[in-house]
Amino acid sequence: MAPKPISSPVPVAWYPSLAVLMLSVGLLVTASFFMVCMLFDVKPCHHLFGGNPFMRSETERYEATSSRRNRSLSKEIATGAVASVFLGFGSLFLLLATGVYV
Amino acid sequence: MDRRTLVLLFLLLVSSSSLGSSSSSTPDIRVLSAERRIDLTSSIVRVFLTLKVENTGASQASDVLLAFPPTEAEHLAMVKASTTEGKRKKKIYVPLSVNPTELPDTPNGAHLFSISLRNPLKTGEAAVLEVLYIVTHCLEPFPVEISQSETQFVYYHDSATLLSPYHVMEQITYIKTPNNKVESYTRVDPTNRAGTELRYGLYHDLPPYSYSPIIVHFENNNPFAVVEELVREVEISHWGNLQVRDHYKLKHAGARHKGIFSRVEYQSRPSISGVSSFKHLLARLPPRVHSVYYRDEIGNISSSHLRIGSQKSELEIEPRYPLFGGWKATFVIGYGLPLQDFLFESPDGKHYLNFSFGCPLLETVVDELTIKVVLPEGSKNPSSVVPFPVNQQLETTYAYLDVVGRTTVVLKKRNLVPEHNIPFQVYYDFSPIFMLAEPLMLVSAVFLFFIACIVYLHIDLSIRKS
Repeated sequence: MAPKPISSPVPVAWYPSLAVLMLSVGLLVTASFFMVCMLFDVKPCHHLFGGNPFMRSETERYEATSSRRNRSLSKEIATGAVASVFLGFGSLFLLLATGVYV
Repeated sequence: MDRRTLVLLFLLLVSSSSLGSSSSSTPDIRVLSAERRIDLTSSIVRVFLTLKVENTGASQASDVLLAFPPTEAEHLAMVKASTTEGKRKKKIYVPLSVNPTELPDTPNGAHLFSISLRNPLKTGEAAVLEVLYIVTHCLEPFPVEISQSETQFVYYHDSATLLSPYHVMEQITYIKTPNNKVESYTRVDPTNRAGTELRYGLYHDLPPYSYSPIIVHFENNNPFAVVEELVREVEISHWGNLQVRDHYKLKHAGARHKGIFSRVEYQSRPSISGVSSFKHLLARLPPRVHSVYYRDEIGNISSSHLRIGSQKSELEIEPRYPLFGGWKATFVIGYGLPLQDFLFESPDGKHYLNFSFGCPLLETVVDELTIKVVLPEGSKNPSSVVPFPVNQQLETTYAYLDVVGRTTVVLKKRNLVPEHNIPFQVYYDFSPIFMLAEPLMLVSAVFLFFIACIVYLHIDLSIRKS
């Protein structure tokens, strides 16, 4: 009875392609994460991007941003989570493909 | 009266037989014939001994003793014994276990080894045993210092007669030198020399522990490569790779070099200049090896050749300078191996690594070897199975993406020869779920960055309302 050899869960030949794929998807999602800032009217964006052409009266702004803020917050966290998963796995496969077997 | 005398006689017989068996087991065995072949053609001395022993005692003999003088026993690297089974054409060698023993009445500090026989030898029976023993560091260079253009002569100290705890009826010793140049040898009649072979024998009926010292002074220009210290690190990664790093401290252990070293003379007349020095070393590596590097403290050493084959790979390395007597070189050889060739799963669920102990360099003696097997993070219950006695301990090593550190099994052994390159196993428990710890660590680090971005974008740091 020959002993059963153990190999890695993912075929070693796939490491470079998996790394490139996951990193590119991760970077795309990161880009969409940062674009959430510009599409939604989040207040501190004013500090980052100068004057806001969509400025309205103060009360209106507060109402709009408070509900919008909650929605955008959950959306931002979700986007961030997805981006971090792809970037994390992509960087792991990048480390494995270059020979740093962690 | 008769019954009493009978009882007395019976008691006497019982007491005498018990005395006879307990006084000493050595005189029960007699060596009928002993043939010793001493191979001095390399820097490591190999002695092949064929013993035909007979049990002349009253009881069964389950082991046969071998004796070695103290100086030889100190440098003894390996003792192997085997017996033959089967008829002429189908002879198979069955290995027997050899262990060091101690008896209270051995003269002059002789060291004893006992060979355990598979089937105890009955009274009157004879058996043939083949013994191989390997001694290192016993060729003494004389003259102790030589210049570049001289050849190397060494002394070999031994005895013309086999040192044995038993009576030896007949014995003969053959010594094989690497070439015809034997400067001198002690004569213990009958002695004869023919070309490269020196014969001491036939000696008849010698008492136990008989020793007649001889010295053979001959030329030996074989490379006396000795690795003073070798540290091997084997790192197991379940993502598919086994990384091996060998740190060598190499020395030329022959006659010391005196005077100048002239590179011009060395390269122009290689047959006269530096005959006892060596330039190349050959390392035998496993077949599917990748990413081999050879470097030292200065940097990469480019003078090496790698030949990868299907059965084995050969790495021929050339240190930065040729090694003359007493010169040293320190370097690191590293390579990667595919995991499925060496890591297996045993039927009871434990993972085990099957790797070869010993030094990959051919014909070199290792004075001290340390093998560190770095197990993946999260492994438990490490244990090792090695065919010969080693020193074991556990340590913790830290490598990439480690939180608690990796358990390391450290095995140490002294005085190794190439015959010690046999596989050993290291068993450990590891559940594959621990492999997820590494990507999850990276994911959480990146996620922390995103959270920091979100927090920064949502807090209001302005001093006054715009």
